[in-house]
Parts: sequence; C-alpha cells; structure tokens
Amino acid sequence: MASQTKAEILRQHQSNADLNTPIPAQVMRGQNDLSADGIIRPLDERIIAATAEALESGQTHYVDVPGIAPLRAAVADFLGSFADAAYQGGNIVITAGMQEARFLSIQMIGAQFDNIGIPEVVHPGARKALGTRARNVISLPVDAEAGYLPSPESIAEALAGGCRLLFLESPSRLSGAVYSDQQVAAISQALAEHDAAAIWDQGLAVWVDDSYDSLAACDSEAERVAVIGEAFPGMGLASWFIAYIAAPEAWVPPMQSQKQIMSICTSTASQYGALEASQLYRAEGNQQLASLRQTRAGAAQLASDSGWTVLGGAACNIIALRPPGGVDAALTDLRAAGYDAADGALFGAPDIIRLTVSNSTADALRALV
Amino acid sequence: MSKKKKQGTNLLYNMIAEANSYDDVIVMGRGDPDFDTPAHIVEAAKDAMIKRHADYSPPEGLLPLREAIAERVKRVNNIDVDPATEVVVTNGGQEALFLMVVAANGPGDEMIVPEPNYNTYADSLAFAGGVKVEVQAFAENDFRADPADVRAVVTDKSRSLLLVSPNNPAANVISPADMREMLSIAIEHDLIIIADDIYDLFVYDNFEHVSPASLPGGKERTLTLNALSKAYSMTGWRLGWIVGPADLMARVRELKAAISGGASIISQYAGIAALTGPQDPVEMMAEAYRRRRRLVLDALDEMGMSYGVPQGGQFVFADISFSGLDSGELAQRILTEQHVLAYPGSAFSKDRKDYLRMTFLQPEEKLREGLERMKIAMQSIMAEQQS
Ligand SMILES: Cc1ncc(COP(=O)(O)O)c(C=O)c1O
Repeated sequence: MASQTKAEILRQHQSNADLNTPIPAQVMRGQNDLSADGIIRPLDERIIAATAEALESGQTHYVDVPGIAPLRAAVADFLGSFADAAYQGGNIVITAGMQEARFLSIQMIGAQFDNIGIPEVVHPGARKALGTRARNVISLPVDAEAGYLPSPESIAEALAGGCRLLFLESPSRLSGAVYSDQQVAAISQALAEHDAAAIWDQGLAVWVDDSYDSLAACDSEAERVAVIGEAFPGMGLASWFIAYIAAPEAWVPPMQSQKQIMSICTSTASQYGALEASQLYRAEGNQQLASLRQTRAGAAQLASDSGWTVLGGAACNIIALRPPGGVDAALTDLRAAGYDAADGALFGAPDIIRLTVSNSTADALRALV
Repeated sequence: MSKKKKQGTNLLYNMIAEANSYDDVIVMGRGDPDFDTPAHIVEAAKDAMIKRHADYSPPEGLLPLREAIAERVKRVNNIDVDPATEVVVTNGGQEALFLMVVAANGPGDEMIVPEPNYNTYADSLAFAGGVKVEVQAFAENDFRADPADVRAVVTDKSRSLLLVSPNNPAANVISPADMREMLSIAIEHDLIIIADDIYDLFVYDNFEHVSPASLPGGKERTLTLNALSKAYSMTGWRLGWIVGPADLMARVRELKAAISGGASIISQYAGIAALTGPQDPVEMMAEAYRRRRRLVLDALDEMGMSYGVPQGGQFVFADISFSGLDSGELAQRILTEQHVLAYPGSAFSKDRKDYLRMTFLQPEEKLREGLERMKIAMQSIMAEQQS
C-alpha cells in the first residue's frame, strides 16, 4: 500500500515554490557554460602547496564551528581594506559556500526580525533559502533601468511601511549593477532612521573595477549590517565551496549554533586553501580584472551592435542582456550553438539573459547575432 | 533556544575551552578519531587539487562518488540504490542528519526518538518546527529501546521514527529482531524511518547491525545516512551521504541545494579514494577501537561504574549516580583536578545527569593514563562522600 505519509511530505515539498526554485551552477560546467555564478580559474600552486601541507600535517579533524581563526581574521582584514568595514575575526562565520551563507544569514538573522525585504529581482538562491522555513517576506520593487536594483526611495518606503530587515545585493547578481556612494549613504540613513538592519551580498564586488561602496562602510560600529560573499573569488576556489558571513557580534551566536547543527564546520581543505588565497590576494589583488573588463566591453559592443540591450553593470564577470527577439529564442539559439546562459526568469527578470564573462562569451554572441 | 539547553551547551563550551588551556589534557570527550586521515586519501585530494580543482559538482554530488556510495551501501548494508536518483552527498553526516529531519518533518509533526540520543536530532527537529517524542532506555538494559514503548507513543501526529544504530552516546546496537519490529511499527503506522548508520563499521562481540532499509518494505520509507568521518578518520573533510527512495531523495536534493549547494570538490575526490581504495586502514582503526574499548571497560569495572555495554560505536555511556554528583559537576572536577575531559550526560539530555560519555579516541597509552587519572579523581570524590 502506498504511504500516505510520504505522499503528504511530497505534496508539501512540491507545493513550496521557493524551495523548488532552480539555481545556477556555482561554477561553469565547461568552457561553453555561460550560465554559472563562478568562472573556471587556474589554481595557484601556492594554494595547492599550502592546502596539501595542512592536510599532511594532520589538519583533517573537526575545527572550530565558525572557521579557523586565521581565516576569520583574514576575511575581516580583507573586508576592512577592501570595503572599509569595521569587522574583527570574531564577527566572521566561514561557510561551506555562498548558498550556506545565504541560508544561514537569511534564516538565522531573519529569525530575529518580524519580516525580511527581498528584491523582486535577486539571485534565486535567496528564495530557495527562504523556502526552507516560512518567513514573512516583503517584496522590494526593483528599477529595471538601474540594473534591477531596488531604488533607495523604494527601500525607504518599505522601511517606513514596517520592513525591518533587508536582503540586498550590490553588485546585483543578475546585472552587476551597484549602488553609488550617495545611494549607499541614503540606504544607510534610512536603516538608521527606522532602526532596521540589512544583509548585504557583496560577493561580486571584487569584480568591480572602479571603487566600490559597501553598506558595511557606513556601519562604523558593525551594528546593523551583515555582509556575505564568496571567500576570495577568482582564485580558483569556486568548487571548494567557501564563503563568509561578517555580522554584528550579537548575530553571530545563532548562526554559529545553526552552523554546528547543519555541518559542524567547513571543510579544512577549503579553509586552508582560502587562507593561502587571502595572502596572495593581499599581494597581488584581483589581477584578472583588466582582462575581464576588456572581454566584457567587447561582448557588450557585439551585443549592442546587433540591437540587443546591454544592461549597465559594474561587475566585469557577468553581462546581462535583453534580446530583442525574446529570451526563449535567444536561449534556444545559444543552446543550438553549444552554449548555455542563465535565464533571467530565475532571478525574476524574464526578459533578460545573463552570461558569465569568459573567453567564450564573445564567441557565443557571435554565434547568435 | 531554551535556557536549559543553552546552559548545557555553555557548560560544554566552557569545559572545552578549559581543556584547551591544559598542556597535559587527555580528551575523552569529542567524537573525533585521533588517527589522521589515511595517506592515500590525502594523496588523492592533492591529485584532485592539481587536476580537478574546478570541476562542477551538482548539489547531489559527483556521479562517480554516488556510484561508490551505492556500491558501499550494497556491500555493507545490503541496501539497493540507484546512484543516479537515490544518493545525495552531504557536508558530513551532520548535514545529512539535518536534511533528513527537515525533509521528513514539518511544523507540529512528531518524531519518535529513543533516548539517549545524539542531540543534533532534536536541534534539527526544532528548526523544522517538529515535536520530539521520547522513548527512554537505560544502562541496566544496555540502552535497549523496547519496540513496545515505541508503539505506545505513536499518535496520529507521528511522522517519523529515529533509529541510530550503533547509537551515540548510548553505544547500543538495535538487534535484528528489534529492528524488524521497529520497521513493522513504521509500516503499520505509516512512519518515515530516519536511520543513522554512521558507526556501522564499529560493532563489537557478537552484536549485529541491520539497516532498516535493507529489510523488506524498509527502503521505500527510510532515509539512511552515513559519512566518512568516523570510519576513515575524516571528520575535517565534511563528507557524508543520504540514500533513500527516489521520490523522497528528489526532495532531499532540493533541500540540499537550498541550504548549501554541493560539497567541496576536493573532499568528494578524497571520498572516492576512501571508498574505492584499500580498506585495511579502516580495519586497523576498528581493531584499535576494539582493544581500547576493552581497556576502558576494565578501568570502569575497577572504578565500580556501571554502564551499558557498548555494543558498537566509539564510546561508553557510564552511570555515575553512585558518585552522588551531577554529571556536570563530576565532569568538571575530573577536568579541573586531573585534566581529563569526558562529556557530561546532561550535554546530551536533561534527563541524563547521572551519566558520563567517554570516547575511545585516544592512543592506548594516553587512554590508560586518562583512565588512571580519572580513577584518582573518583577516589577523592568518593572519599569526600564517605566523610
Ligand atoms: C550519531 C551521529 N550522527 C551523525 C554525526 C555527524 O558526523 P559528521 O558530520 O562528522 O559526519 C555524528 C557525530 O558525532 C553522530 O554521532
């Protein structure tokens, strides 16, 4: 006899649209996969050597739940120098990748607030994380002209309407658009006025080649802004699933407890790899930026020459386009030519496609236009 | 989090911090094997860093790893699974546990939990909004949970039944007869079984572990977890898995994608090497645990402690009621006076203040020394009691 209990579980899960939201791959599945969040990068030999040394010297055991102390310190340092943020090592929780950072921050910081404001257009991982436990969600309208970011005005309106926690991306994970310094200041001021807080995803900020303005920089006492992001992107660690949450001290214990419950700690190999990456980063910075900027500019030119709208974006690792003949046709043509792109519908923008910027991006566009 | 729970956790955190401050501490607390990961597994990880560092992994894990897992659960547990649809790789057994509990239970659903048990089950259930229904077992019966007691607590809200065998902290193994009876109850009342086989390679004397999913009618309603952590001494790699029927596993996969995405590619390649490579290091470690268990039990006998005979696992749960002290106080005194860390039973359950959990996860020499020191602490405590 078929199990009624199982049927009921399946029914509950299947009717949970947020939980079933498809999300992009964390890294390209091959050179022609332009749908992924992360690009394939070589791994510096020094990262291999340092990780191997850690494993060989017995770093194969459980480590502290929020991460090994030197990596937490390195992430805090990085956020201090890169984004002018005031976090210390104790503010950092190392996570098993970006989705764990979304899940922990949205669910555990979220549990301390009555509601959470989520942009109508956002990385689908945010919705997926929301699907694991019901939350009171306030949808933040976005401005298509501004790369699908919610405007500071609409954010202020939501806060005035009772929204107490925001989840924001800058750069947008769809378009790469960022908030300007004035906009960041306006958002920060609105948060303070309404005694509200924010989770700020700045994982793609390292791909912005101008100066970058973080909301964390306005939170000089680290009281109301948590930052999430991949740990040292572009260093070849995308498949090692290593990311961070930097949060006000009072928010760390509930995330740490939940991290203990859901995975005890993050893989030591990934942590020691990221630790070495943090040193190289300090010395060399993100050296790929110049070449990515050029590749992106070339792709943008190709696309606009053929009548596609190129969305304004400051992050050089992705490019978002509005195909004149519609998204379905563009995705079909791309697939026929052997390429994959991310469907903007996954993010909430059904007339957009997103391509990762890599050596094959221009070829993909050439195959289309 | 309730205040009580917080106190238990804080007690443990404080004790661990204190233990870390002693140079000569002997840790018989945390369930982390003292052996380092076997060298051929570390080699495979290095090789993966050089050749496969950027491979894509789907949330459910690399297919070759899922195939190795399917082969393993067939060989060891006699569970038949399709690696394409019935295996999800996880960040350790811990993530597997969380996913199984959250997949099977929603708000208000009851999960039947034989106690004592690994406390993360209760924490995961709390995340899901479910309700824990306890069935108690005690040292005098070697912590056997009586299926009749399980049957007695079934209600129309019962959703799932937790079966951890060998168990942590109680170290009992559910007998094949009891396992069949547990499955009958699950079938009769249409419950999902959450099975934790993480200690299945450590079964002692003539005891036998049977996975419920291997029994007729078991697989379709059972989610089974395992991990490389304990068997291969790979706790830091965070690699485990869940196997189960394809329909439930499809839901588990979505949940896994929602909470963390895939597992680290390096750990996955290391996992393939662990499961498909030479198994003699596992046998060597299991043999060492067998010897150490004997050592610990002999010492406890000398101290006059009663305990549930550990039928499996890597620890013993001893009854310390004769000391007249609460387990928190006793563990604290053993730590402060003799620099030996054992976990108080109260860290596992508020009802287990009369117990102490000791692991066998130290080299024999150290274990001997730790037990010797514990004996001294117990003697001084008993002398105080008598005066
Ligand atoms: C019964 C049981 N299940 C699951 C786990 C989780 O183990 P890990 O996440 O290290 O694989 C443990 C760890 O102690 C355990 O005792």
